[in-house]
Amino acid sequence: MSSAGNKQETSSGKRVFWRSLEEKSQPEAHREEADGSDVVKQTVSSEELFTLRRRNFLTLSGAMATLAGVEGCVRRPVENIMPYADMPEYINPGVPLHYATAIQRNGEALGLVVTTFEGRPTKIEGNPDHPASLGSTDMLAQAEILGLYDPERSHSPTHKGAAATFADFDAFLATKLADLQKNGGAGLRVLAQSTNSPTFVRMRAALTAKLPAARVHTYAPLNQSNALASTKLAFGQPTSVLYDYSKASVVLALDSDFMVTEPGSVLAARQFSVGRDMESAAGTMNRLYAVEPVFSVTGSNADHRLRLPAQDIVRYARALASELVTAHGVQLGTVATAVHGAATDGIPEAWIKAVARDLASNAGRSLIVAGNRQPAALHALVHALNRALGNAGKTVTYAEALDGAEPDNFADIEALTADMAAGKVDTLVILGGNPVYDAPADLKFADALAKVATSIHSSSSDDETAALVSWHLPRAHELETWGDLQASSGQYSVQQPMIAPLWGGRSDIELLGQLAGAPNWRGYDLVQATVAERGINGEIAWRQLLHKGVTDQGFARVLGALEIRDGDVAGALRKLSDAAALSTSNLEVVFTSDAKLFDGRYANNTWLLELPDPQTRITWDNAALIGPSTAKALGVKSGDMVRLTKGGASIDIVAWLQPGMAQNSIGLALGWGRKKAGSNGNGHGFDVYPLRSSGAPYFTAGVSLQKLGATYPISQTQDHDKMRDPRVEDQDRPLAMDATLAQYKEKPNFPAYRSPDPEYGPLWQRQDYSKGQQWGMVVDLNTCNGCNACAVACQAENNVPVVGKEQVSRGREMHWFRIDRYYVGENEDEPAVAFQPIGCQHCEEAPCENVCPVAATSHSPEGLNDIAYNRCIGTRYCMNNCPYKVRRFNFLNFNSDIPETTQMQKNPNVTVRFRGVVEKCSYCVQRIQKAKSTAKQDGRHWLRDGEVVAACQQVCPTQAITFGDINNPKSAVSKKRQVDRNYALLADIGTRPRTRFLGKIRNPNADMKEKS
Amino acid sequence: MSADSPIVEIGETPLVPAHVSAAFVSDSVSRVTEQASPVGWWMVFGVALLFLGVLGLSVGYLVWNGIGSWGNNSPTAWAWDITNFVWWIGIGHAGTLISAVLFLFRQKWRTSVNRFAEAMTIFAVICALLYPTIHVGRIWALYWALPIPNQMAMWPNFKSPLLWDVFAVSTYFTVSLLFWFVGLIPDFATLRDRAKNVARKKVYGALALGWRGSNRHWRHYERAYLILAALSTPLVLSVHSVVSFDFATSVMPGWHTTIFPPYFVAGAVFSGFAMVMTLMLICRQVYGLKDIMTMKHLELMNKIMLVTGSLVGYAYSMEFFMAWYSGNAYERYVFINRATGPYWWAYWTMVTCNVISPQLFWSKRLRTSIPVMFAVSITINIGMWFERFVIIVTSLHRDYLPSSWGMFHPTLIDIGCYTGSLGLFFTLFSLFIRWIPMVAMFEVKAALPGAQPSHHHAHTEHAEPAHGALAVKEA
Repeated sequence: MSSAGNKQETSSGKRVFWRSLEEKSQPEAHREEADGSDVVKQTVSSEELFTLRRRNFLTLSGAMATLAGVEGCVRRPVENIMPYADMPEYINPGVPLHYATAIQRNGEALGLVVTTFEGRPTKIEGNPDHPASLGSTDMLAQAEILGLYDPERSHSPTHKGAAATFADFDAFLATKLADLQKNGGAGLRVLAQSTNSPTFVRMRAALTAKLPAARVHTYAPLNQSNALASTKLAFGQPTSVLYDYSKASVVLALDSDFMVTEPGSVLAARQFSVGRDMESAAGTMNRLYAVEPVFSVTGSNADHRLRLPAQDIVRYARALASELVTAHGVQLGTVATAVHGAATDGIPEAWIKAVARDLASNAGRSLIVAGNRQPAALHALVHALNRALGNAGKTVTYAEALDGAEPDNFADIEALTADMAAGKVDTLVILGGNPVYDAPADLKFADALAKVATSIHSSSSDDETAALVSWHLPRAHELETWGDLQASSGQYSVQQPMIAPLWGGRSDIELLGQLAGAPNWRGYDLVQATVAERGINGEIAWRQLLHKGVTDQGFARVLGALEIRDGDVAGALRKLSDAAALSTSNLEVVFTSDAKLFDGRYANNTWLLELPDPQTRITWDNAALIGPSTAKALGVKSGDMVRLTKGGASIDIVAWLQPGMAQNSIGLALGWGRKKAGSNGNGHGFDVYPLRSSGAPYFTAGVSLQKLGATYPISQTQDHDKMRDPRVEDQDRPLAMDATLAQYKEKPNFPAYRSPDPEYGPLWQRQDYSKGQQWGMVVDLNTCNGCNACAVACQAENNVPVVGKEQVSRGREMHWFRIDRYYVGENEDEPAVAFQPIGCQHCEEAPCENVCPVAATSHSPEGLNDIAYNRCIGTRYCMNNCPYKVRRFNFLNFNSDIPETTQMQKNPNVTVRFRGVVEKCSYCVQRIQKAKSTAKQDGRHWLRDGEVVAACQQVCPTQAITFGDINNPKSAVSKKRQVDRNYALLADIGTRPRTRFLGKIRNPNADMKEKS
Repeated sequence: MSADSPIVEIGETPLVPAHVSAAFVSDSVSRVTEQASPVGWWMVFGVALLFLGVLGLSVGYLVWNGIGSWGNNSPTAWAWDITNFVWWIGIGHAGTLISAVLFLFRQKWRTSVNRFAEAMTIFAVICALLYPTIHVGRIWALYWALPIPNQMAMWPNFKSPLLWDVFAVSTYFTVSLLFWFVGLIPDFATLRDRAKNVARKKVYGALALGWRGSNRHWRHYERAYLILAALSTPLVLSVHSVVSFDFATSVMPGWHTTIFPPYFVAGAVFSGFAMVMTLMLICRQVYGLKDIMTMKHLELMNKIMLVTGSLVGYAYSMEFFMAWYSGNAYERYVFINRATGPYWWAYWTMVTCNVISPQLFWSKRLRTSIPVMFAVSITINIGMWFERFVIIVTSLHRDYLPSSWGMFHPTLIDIGCYTGSLGLFFTLFSLFIRWIPMVAMFEVKAALPGAQPSHHHAHTEHAEPAHGALAVKEA
């Protein structure tokens, strides 16, 4: 693993400084290892067994002699272990260290705290001090850790397909740069992705200063160009617009999935949940309206949702603005002239009148957001509306954009490709990204690339682009390199390497530094220079920055109230003409950011591939999502292969019926159908990029659908089963229980009322759980938004294996923690959604326990339903008898061939399970035990509230999960259990689960009733 | 009953035709083990061996790769494995019932079928035991389910119905085997006495345990047989009741029901009789034993199938009634789903085979028609397999949380393990027929018209020692 290049990377003398100051507490943790009271107990018991008398001695010696003989027959590999000759400071085997760092996630910096064991990072958590994280992360950030260890990442530079070294490349680059310098860099182009890194911006400037004729282009398939352009349009300067959902009573999301796929979703979800956290029926609650073409997670959480084709969102926004102006006197200035007269076909009147009334009556406490899919003019209208509603400065604030120079990505890649095709590009450096796969198809990037004499591509894997370039360089993972990131609110973080680059890659800033001719182009030096430039000087300040992971010193650039350029906004709006109505022969396709694979960069990540999509619950594939009534009109069923054609471009893809889709609108998730993603990702799903053009990158009408007559198998973890079968049930099963706010106020205990404990207790005496610390969990269904981060966090923490598409289709997925998604209501096109996170409920009267013939699963005195894996013989009776179906069985040896690097990710405190045993959520018992031993060091026999945090709880962006001691009346979990809408799932079986749920509340607007 | 009564059931015709003599019985039964096997035997044995090979390969593949070789999943963690187990155990019920219960009730007609039925019981229980053994995830740790003192100082969990199963089935197997062997001793002695070569003499001699047919032997034998019959009678009820506890004590809708023990026992007797019938009809044909296994026997068995089939039908309808009457939504759903859900075909196959087809036996003409009873017996066996499939798979596949619903699809290994067990059964059964008297000769002799000591025309038995002659003495 340690190549020559690698050594070079780590040769800097200052390397020692990268550690954080977290280890203050480590000496204590070290003592805990020495204590190990359990070990002592073990020794005593074995002494009792073998008190050494003469006879015993003889017996033992005989046995030992025999065993010694037997051992000679066993073939074992020769494996030498090496002690640390020089013990690295702070590293105690088995005691994890936590380092603060950050990663770039979808145009936003996300602060992290990474757990490392003996120098290998195993788990990612959010950094509570980071403004975009507040301690939480999302599913993609959770899965980064697996991506780090992906054995199929690029292992070495290649030159024209042949292996090379970084030394070869450096030599080549030196001569190349010398050539380029002669004419000021003419013919040199750099293609980078949009960035949050101040160092990257600085080096980009350095490059263009040094080689003025060179150009740096920016392209990411999913970018914020529309939002950025709108701020230039509306405010006259590139601005980052910051929303504060926690202050908003009414939120209108216009095609914006701000809870999952839009930038800054972790913070947005947290803030939004503030208005949903009802401590009692007396509380108030925010209201969310969503208008969108595809059924997003945000739409699932909306109190009112209007399904509208993407092309009609602008029309809706104009009609709404017009209503606000005419009926509520909202001052839009000249913008008003551009909003009147919008056609309202297909838009229910209530959606204009009642929503406008709600927004106007909550002026200053309302918030309108638009998604990146929508054009800049709509964003500009939204800025104007927020300003006119008095939201600016309250629910909306502004900060200076980090990279205001970022051009419109699609225009920029178009310009670059045109130059490439015209032969104007001699040297192209591609920093990250995979344009051969993800550039708009009409540009024919691959053809243009063939005309470039020298192409240099740095990417983490040997992807589609890597195959067509002259130089491919391994790109270091964000957890392997030095770097820096700035949050959109201005705070600054330094990325620390958690581990030396596994395969010796370089980061983008380092390559850019090399191109710019920086003498010290190592990431560490570049970042330190940036930090110094911003006025953070001195060793102590630097260390503090690394330790805390974030600072706002010298980086916060909050802007005050900004004036709207009415005329420009009105002009831009006027340019948007109403699109022709859709029909089955004029379909619209909407390209969505995949919740799991994003733009395709996570396509080889098995955790994400296997994770069910939050909405469709499809694993290992994407599909063309079509609403049931549209599909009926088209004669298409789920699983049918269809061909979508737009102009000369077409794709073949499997159709899937998805409730909640706009009429005649088809959702296509980007990022699938990779051909060179790696062995895990290749061939999964369908590549929809060929339909995407630079002119209409997010949605386009005029698409026709043709059935191909073939079918394609899809693996789902859950289908569209509802909570009610009308033939037998007159109401929904009392599972994910919900009520409207009015119903809740009328009957605060509505869920417990429907899910009571049985009238009669068991025939036997109940265990007394009134003493000691008793663990319990409460999941608030009202704040949970169904984002799935908990499922990946659990997988990462608990070494949960991945089983593959075929095994998922057989119903053998292993997720310990899952989110159940139920559709509520009879209208298949417009259902409401209820999400319910389910892990083991840790029943006090657990049905699984008494059926196990070998007592492998039994209760701990602290109320945990434990499994002794090495006692389990695998009768699977417990799985049958679990009403919650949370128990998972290792049907095959799912852990048999884990690549060596991936093994490094495994949590050393959790057993990796062999085939033939049952496993399930343990309430992160390893974390409880760890906290107990720490407490013992402090001389405490009682854990403090919050001292144990379950993995699912820790990651949750909305803090929907509370965990702790239910015997402590002051603990957070005890307080949640007192909330009136608390209930136990399937309590009537008499299981007495330790996990409780808080019923979901919907907050419909009474004025909207006239609409269906 | 007095010792003087003739060997006919009250108001019935004799069980064995008048012309059948003790010598005829000995000869026609023993001959099967002494002469070369007919082609029919070789065909059955060959096909059975082939499927036994399939079983070996399937089980080998399963153990090597894991339970994932089957179609089991979550939510149907049990599927064909336990279906087959319960099916075979059910089949194994007829043996004890015929041997023990009918013996205690002095049902003389059992004499010509009991050996058969007992052998079938033993082999069916062997097949049944195969499944709990191979269905566990870690077969090498299976012995942890047994109460063996061990260095882990750990007992099995006595609260688990699966453990009760272990005890119930192993007890049943042990008692059935003993019962079978004890009943075989006089017949082994007959074979020994007829033996023409040393090997047969030695082997059967050893198996006969020195039986000489003395009065004292008979006294001890009668006593032992009676005690074993008394011991195994409760087992008829207990084994399948305990097996049904696997389901009844769970919390799953469709399983959690008090009707299961009697329902399972009735079903077991039903399927056991059907299997005995199938096998008897084949052997009767192949070996020409029509005078020993008479139409009267067959008709009586058909009547029992009619009764137990109707009992099972009653249980099916009562399950639906209780699901409706309970008002429990989950329970109601499970039953509606059984009849109309994705596995509707399995449910209606079950009803057709188990409830409707035995109703043919109301007609005397159909009840005494060999082709009809053969077809019905096969149908019942199919239906009873589906009954277990319906109970296990359709209850599990859609339970409480619709989010976790799923479907079960069998794999080739599932099919191999099932058909392979038939191979195992028929291999053992073929060997039984080839080497062991398939009819209890001495008991049949006791049911002959002249067998009764009070019957003064009982001279015909001088041709050979009448081992069975004293067996009819009644207390």
